[in-house]
Amino acid sequence: MWLWFAKLGSPRWFYEVSGRWLPWLSGAMLLFMSVGAVWALLFLPPDYQQSFTTRILVVHVAVAGTSLAFFPLMAVAGTITLVWKMKLADMVAKNAAPLGAWFSLVTLATGSLWGSVMWGTWWEWTDARLVSMLFQFFLLLSVIALRSAIEDSEKAAKACALLSIVGCINTVIIKYSVEWWNVLHQPSSPINMSNDSANGPEFWLVTGVMIVAVYLFLTVSLILTTRNEILERERRSRWVKDIIS
Amino acid sequence: MKADESSTYQAFVGTLKRDLLIAFKRKNEIANPFIFFLIVAALFPIGITPDPVRLAEIAAGVLWISALLASLLAMDNLYSADFEDGSLEQLLLSHHPLYFLVLAKNIGHWLVSGLPVVLISPLIAYMLNFPRESYMVLFITLLMGTPILSLLGSIGVALTVGLGGRGLVLAVITLPMSVPVLITGTLAIQETGNSAPLVGYLAILGAMLVGSLSLAPLASAVALRISVN
Repeated sequence: MWLWFAKLGSPRWFYEVSGRWLPWLSGAMLLFMSVGAVWALLFLPPDYQQSFTTRILVVHVAVAGTSLAFFPLMAVAGTITLVWKMKLADMVAKNAAPLGAWFSLVTLATGSLWGSVMWGTWWEWTDARLVSMLFQFFLLLSVIALRSAIEDSEKAAKACALLSIVGCINTVIIKYSVEWWNVLHQPSSPINMSNDSANGPEFWLVTGVMIVAVYLFLTVSLILTTRNEILERERRSRWVKDIIS
Repeated sequence: MKADESSTYQAFVGTLKRDLLIAFKRKNEIANPFIFFLIVAALFPIGITPDPVRLAEIAAGVLWISALLASLLAMDNLYSADFEDGSLEQLLLSHHPLYFLVLAKNIGHWLVSGLPVVLISPLIAYMLNFPRESYMVLFITLLMGTPILSLLGSIGVALTVGLGGRGLVLAVITLPMSVPVLITGTLAIQETGNSAPLVGYLAILGAMLVGSLSLAPLASAVALRISVN
């Protein structure tokens, strides 16, 4: 078991294995993404209450669900960096932070688009999920800011690892405190409307396809950026020189 | 060479005394966060409205946000002077658990930067036409909340110590983390009349204080070991 773990830490091993997996993963991603997107955006029947706006929700729900995975991912990678000093974990964490910020931003943007039609407003402070997503976005930005502020890459890796762990705990606390805040302010917030009980099974089916597609997109993007990172950091080693030349 | 036989408790008290002594030698550094708090709080009525009724509505938020900003600005000199003269490295090399030394530094720092802000807050509250019945709650929540802000801020300072231009990075790291404290503090003030939710919010604030007292110095200690090597 430990042998496997040590192997995983080797950038070269990861580069070779991920290179073999990449075509399959990208193919599956393209398949799911195109099926989900065409189905959701062109063929999904309008909801009797929400009309065609549910088509935005398919993308929104998938991206939002995936964006919650980033802080746990970065915290686990950070723990591995701090405890076992595995370089690969830091390479993944480094690229996960900007990607996570993008996912949060897309979640906020698609949510606003949907809200502008259904709630009649682009932004609503009384919705706990909007506010906690906003602060998750800020916390991810702070990890990126810290990374770019520290020049020494090894020190930056450890500092960001610690900040990711603290941030992961903090997002949970922020989520709950924002919920209490809203319970007090406005119990009957528009949250109820987005519990898509009115939607039929077809909505959930296409959303399921989309969630798989977005997770595959996340995996493929992380692998691609990590491979780039490996080439950059290991550029002086022999096997990288062999690949490039 | 004679072995150092001081106990951890002695080291804790020694660090605390040293930091307080240094702080009292540089009186302007004590005064700065305090003056900053006064000025920021005074800017809100000028920027928003001089109307006492509307001021009373926003007073709790104004006081909390001013306290948050004052604590953020004061944080910067928690480790930087020690880092520059090398005494921070001595702390790291000490055989006492770094956790207690960091805790001592945090407490000492809060006593000279956080406590004055808490003590002056009723006066600012009066200037903002703060609801009279909420003074006690405001004082208690700030008394419990500002140490949490300092303890959380300490993690950010420890991560950024020794970096050039760290001020903004520090703010970007620390401010989002302070949201739960801000929410709980202002909620408690709004619930002054109702004892049941009030006690609940104070209990949550107390839980956050205990949690950050026990966990934040741990994170700060790890962060210091990362930043100073």
